[in-house]
Amino acid sequence: MKAFGYVAAKDVTDAVALLAEHGAGAKVLAGGTDLLADLKFAPHHPDIIVDISRLDDLKDIEVADDGLHIGALVTHSEIMRSPVIRDMFPALVEAAYTIGAVQTRNLGTLGGNLVTCVPSMDSGPTLIALEAEVVIAGPGGERRIQLGELFAGPRKTSLKTGELLTDIIIPKANLHKPAAFEKFGLRKGQALALVNAAAAFFVDNGNFKAPRIALGAVAPIVIRAPKAEVYLEGRKITEDAMAEAGRIAATEAEPISDFRASADYRRDLIAVLVKRCLANSHARATTKAKELVL
Amino acid sequence: MTDVTLTVNGQTRSASVPPETTLLVLLREHLNLTGAKLGCDVGDCGACTVIVDGMAVNSCLMLAGQANGRNVTTIEGLATRDRLHPVQKAFEDTGALQCGFCGPGAIMASKALLDDNPNPSVKEIRDALSGSLCRCTGYTKMIDAVQEAASVLRNEATKQLTDART
Repeated sequence: MKAFGYVAAKDVTDAVALLAEHGAGAKVLAGGTDLLADLKFAPHHPDIIVDISRLDDLKDIEVADDGLHIGALVTHSEIMRSPVIRDMFPALVEAAYTIGAVQTRNLGTLGGNLVTCVPSMDSGPTLIALEAEVVIAGPGGERRIQLGELFAGPRKTSLKTGELLTDIIIPKANLHKPAAFEKFGLRKGQALALVNAAAAFFVDNGNFKAPRIALGAVAPIVIRAPKAEVYLEGRKITEDAMAEAGRIAATEAEPISDFRASADYRRDLIAVLVKRCLANSHARATTKAKELVL
Repeated sequence: MTDVTLTVNGQTRSASVPPETTLLVLLREHLNLTGAKLGCDVGDCGACTVIVDGMAVNSCLMLAGQANGRNVTTIEGLATRDRLHPVQKAFEDTGALQCGFCGPGAIMASKALLDDNPNPSVKEIRDALSGSLCRCTGYTKMIDAVQEAASVLRNEATKQLTDART
């Protein structure tokens, strides 16, 4: 790697001040699993790395009045082990399990995965389907936005100079909302998603209530599938409805063709994965058994 | 320069290194511990795997500064003068390695698994080894080795308990 400066931030305020001071020349180090791999090949190197990996305030998982808070520095391994998350949102555990190998999951953080803004990020779809919000600390104080508003484009966030993602919140209304995540890659281990997807809905008298569908790796950012959601809202829960929602969702994406898969193949995958997510969410909603099998 | 003081294989070590130094380079080039290997250098192959505060990590993806104050175990920290660590012995006995380049990483990934889970299923072993790429011989014998080591370590733990009681 080319030479750069390094400073370990003392707290969030210190990190924000350092980021504001150095502007575009600063890069945040959380887990480092994406940052260091990128820096080894980057033509330009940052002036300074602001290491936030020791900010223990950003490592909590807790249920508060407004919902489930997951600190930006919570690692994928910590998500997999968290009793609260395993109980409330096994879909987040399923997603974390598909990220890299254990070495990556031990260092890589939820916040770090989100701010990479790669369209195939495995943390994105479940949180988007659960309508997560994020807290951003900046020189002028904190602001809270929908997670979807953080994603500005491939590898591009809406964060402004001096801003730091600190917290991810699943709102109170969605606590325990049955949800599921599915990913299809070319291998089981350490593969990028050709398509990943998540679904969440409540069951109301055998009908879909507040269905949310999110898709990854098939558009410049992680997207919702609003037409499929509208189709399902209030509809009787059947396998046919799930399959039709999958077909509709496939028309809402703009997948690319590349060396991993063609656009047509990715569209076919969307239909299958959305159907599976809906079926798995329904199974979670209707059975008492919450045992998570990975 | 970044000043780093950390515990490596039970000993306190210090070094002053350029900020862009990874933990892997710190271990290999500054502390002369060349067991952890430089393979892909981007966190895919696992040849650089060491244990930091009980967790298997790719030392190529961790800055030396991040390891400041932490407890690091490398392959050099496993064997004693008298004997190989049971995981090393099991890899040797089962013929789990051919060229051996992936060995230190695969063995440290296996040790981290067994420290946490004394009786892992084959699926759990495969998952723990999925970040350690072997290009010579395959993974079947590694899985056998981890099961063998798990059994030896469990028996040792039981014996220690029994001895302590008598």
